[in-house]
Amino acid sequence: MGALCAVIAIISVVIPFAAGLALLGTVPTGLLAYRYRLRVLLAATVAAGMIAFLIAGMGGFMTVIHCVYIGGLTGFVKRKGRGTLTVIVLSLIAGVAFGAASVGALTVMTRLRHLIFEVLTANVNGVAAFLTRVHMQKAAVDLTRYFAWALHYWQWWMLVYYGLGVMVVSLIGWWALSRLLERMRGLPDVHKLDAWDGSKNEEAPVGPVPVRLDKVRFRYPGASQDALREVSLDLQVGEHVAVTGANGSGKTTLMLILAGRRPTSGTMERPGTVGLGKLGGTALVLQHPESQVLGTRVADDVVWGLPPGTETDVGRLLSEVGLEALAERDTGSLSGGELQRLALAAALAREPALLIADEVTTMVDQRGRDALLGVLSGLTKRHRTALVHITHYNNEADSAERRIDLSDSPDNTGMVETSAPPVPAVAVDYRQHAPVIELVGVGHEYGIGTPWAKTALRDINFVVEQGDGVLIHGGNGSGKSTLAWIMAGLTIPTAGACLMDGRPTHEQVGAVALSFQAARLQLMRSRVDLEVASAAGFSHRDTDRVAAALGVVGLDPTLAKRRIDQLSGGQMRRVVLAGLLACSPRALILDEPLAGLDAASQRGLLRLLEDLRRERGLTVVVISHDFAGLEDLCPRTLHLRNGALEPLSTTAGGRA
Amino acid sequence: MTASTDGATSRPSRPVVLLIPVPGRSAIHDLWAGTKLLVVFGVSVLLTFYPGWVTIGTAAALVFAALRIARIPRGVLPSIPRWLWIVLALGFFTAALSGGSPKISLAGLEIGLGGALNFLRITALSIVLLGLGAIVSWTTNVAEIGPALATLGRPLRILRIPVDEWAVGLALALRAFPMLIDEFQVLYAARRLRPKRIPKSRKARRRRRAMELIDLMAAAITVTLRRGDEMGDAITARGGTGQLSANPVRPKLADWVTIAITIAASGAAVALETILHSTY
Repeated sequence: MGALCAVIAIISVVIPFAAGLALLGTVPTGLLAYRYRLRVLLAATVAAGMIAFLIAGMGGFMTVIHCVYIGGLTGFVKRKGRGTLTVIVLSLIAGVAFGAASVGALTVMTRLRHLIFEVLTANVNGVAAFLTRVHMQKAAVDLTRYFAWALHYWQWWMLVYYGLGVMVVSLIGWWALSRLLERMRGLPDVHKLDAWDGSKNEEAPVGPVPVRLDKVRFRYPGASQDALREVSLDLQVGEHVAVTGANGSGKTTLMLILAGRRPTSGTMERPGTVGLGKLGGTALVLQHPESQVLGTRVADDVVWGLPPGTETDVGRLLSEVGLEALAERDTGSLSGGELQRLALAAALAREPALLIADEVTTMVDQRGRDALLGVLSGLTKRHRTALVHITHYNNEADSAERRIDLSDSPDNTGMVETSAPPVPAVAVDYRQHAPVIELVGVGHEYGIGTPWAKTALRDINFVVEQGDGVLIHGGNGSGKSTLAWIMAGLTIPTAGACLMDGRPTHEQVGAVALSFQAARLQLMRSRVDLEVASAAGFSHRDTDRVAAALGVVGLDPTLAKRRIDQLSGGQMRRVVLAGLLACSPRALILDEPLAGLDAASQRGLLRLLEDLRRERGLTVVVISHDFAGLEDLCPRTLHLRNGALEPLSTTAGGRA
Repeated sequence: MTASTDGATSRPSRPVVLLIPVPGRSAIHDLWAGTKLLVVFGVSVLLTFYPGWVTIGTAAALVFAALRIARIPRGVLPSIPRWLWIVLALGFFTAALSGGSPKISLAGLEIGLGGALNFLRITALSIVLLGLGAIVSWTTNVAEIGPALATLGRPLRILRIPVDEWAVGLALALRAFPMLIDEFQVLYAARRLRPKRIPKSRKARRRRRAMELIDLMAAAITVTLRRGDEMGDAITARGGTGQLSANPVRPKLADWVTIAITIAASGAAVALETILHSTY
């Protein structure tokens, strides 16, 4: 949160004409004050203030202080449930207090104060002299006199200025905060793990394995069905167990129970406490690579969070997962597979007795997946650790000694697959084989002229024709995303041009649809029908058009009233596609469309896209680091490496 | 179809790069982050209390020396927008018109330089302060700032101020900063891809803009909260907070030398100024 506030403060200082944004910096601090204790707000202030100071100097720091002061006030009032009147009164008092503090500070810093006043006086006198030149004597005299009088009573002026100023900004912040909370329907909380409560059984030793579950069931509070149906299993020391099952079968719930949550019924026996993150206890490796890695440098992340004074052989751990060459690198530049291996090394640094790997390969490309599995399969031989590997890929479970299959639970909300895509209401006539997107000598360099200049793309030339299916394949850092943004017109290339119908794409933003890798970021409204209508540009009350748009992507029209945060990953991706396709774009670019989906969802999505390409003549460009399953959709493949195209390799039926 | 190479503009403006050190090694890069923070803080306090020409000159000399030693190229400066030049020129012009001591005579005309000099002084002050912060940003690896703050704040622990918590918060914010910037860029780009509806009346336009702003904020905050919660889970999975860095860095000889030079220069500047009474 501190980072968000710092970002807004920095942007408001650095980018011109954005001074109004400083007002909005009060909203995140207001949210912090609303949701958490004062201590959290103080910590956020220090973090945000330091970042703002490093970037924009004293001015940025003062902006952050202002935001926190006012935002904290509005959030606090919101938490106590008071109304606008309280805000007005309190902000007036707070403003006057702040003004008094400023007055005190300026009184002490005499030299600075005199300098500032002299400069102000000089400016005013200069304006007065100018006015005298243009024969507006009276105005000049009045100006000088009023200014001198104001300067004489500068203390009072500052108090009034701050009092009123703080009040106005508080009211604006209050309005924004109220609208925001209403829109977000309170703050969503996706916290999953319970912190190890050290207050009770402080003396109990840590001992998660061997663990025995007997007829354990779990139901989330307020749910109508069990998330985890009755399961009985036992886990010995040093065993390698794989847990498989489709989405929704309760694998994550099992992980939570093994990590310490109390089941709704059934018994669990273990020799000691769970000891999450403690030496010899339980360690977790979760699904999202970037959020798990907390240190900024690779070597620092391995020891992050260990009790001070613990000796760790960082080099040995890094070489075990294959990252010893990267010990001094920044974690921001690592790929997904490398991040997951780093998280594994950090987990192993605690010498856990039980290691749970929850779907660790889902967000990782093929090469990273192989490396990860290589480390995991030999783990139990090298350490005295019991490994529970949760996955929905069947081939990964083969290396385990034992396999537990959680069958489908009734809670699984499946996707409705229509047997045949509906015929579009208006037949659009595309000319066959006309070029849609042309890239001519496109090159892009970030930060030209600065010492951080980086060439992302070099001399890219190709043509995408109507009804074509192209796969742009490249590894981490090859420039694929930059290419996708240039083709959609969101970035102007520094060399060459990307043309559509002879005009550059950056003048026709929106003609080419782009589906981002994180579908979550593209969904802006709170409900499916609102989202589709807003993406396509018609009113959400037009239920026929909404239903038609949902039907194109194979979603049931009853899904229209569902809230976005209740959708699964595959459903979210389809809603994004529904909105994009309802605009009838010339081409559709998909950035890593299969990331994070399980096998069944991937197949369904690919089938949908193939049907769309065949029936409607839609031009599809897929950007991915995998080949699997995309041969039917994309008969043409382009390889991108380090920003340059390698010689084309075509599969059967492709064009040279 | 013919291709018109209209793509690139004549001279692309340099972007603002935040919190990434200039690549390369130098004596300044190797200094402990805590030393740099202390120097910046000390000089800022000095300039606040003694904003005279002598102190500004001394601080500027320190800044330039550091820039030379760190071999920072000119390309790090972002392009200054035109409106800023206009505002500065206007301020200078009005200040110059006001005259005031000291006066010099030039070709029979008496020109009062007082106002202009004062304006220049304030501008120089702001630039030097910005430069100080920029040096830290350009020569420090972000990973070192959190542990440096923890070490610097150790004496404050006696007053029961949770310095460790603040250092952890700062380190996490610095880690999350680039990720959040990327996500905000995607959010903004996704908005640009949507068709724009121009509503009829001005009131509807204002209301639409307000709603859009709220939507954007809600999306940004939801994204941030989700990241925050995921990081919270990661912290819980590691058993809470604790060590921040694998190889704790201690101040070396170069650091003490730097601090000594700074204190000496500042002391001399203050003394000189008090003696000269050049400003009051």
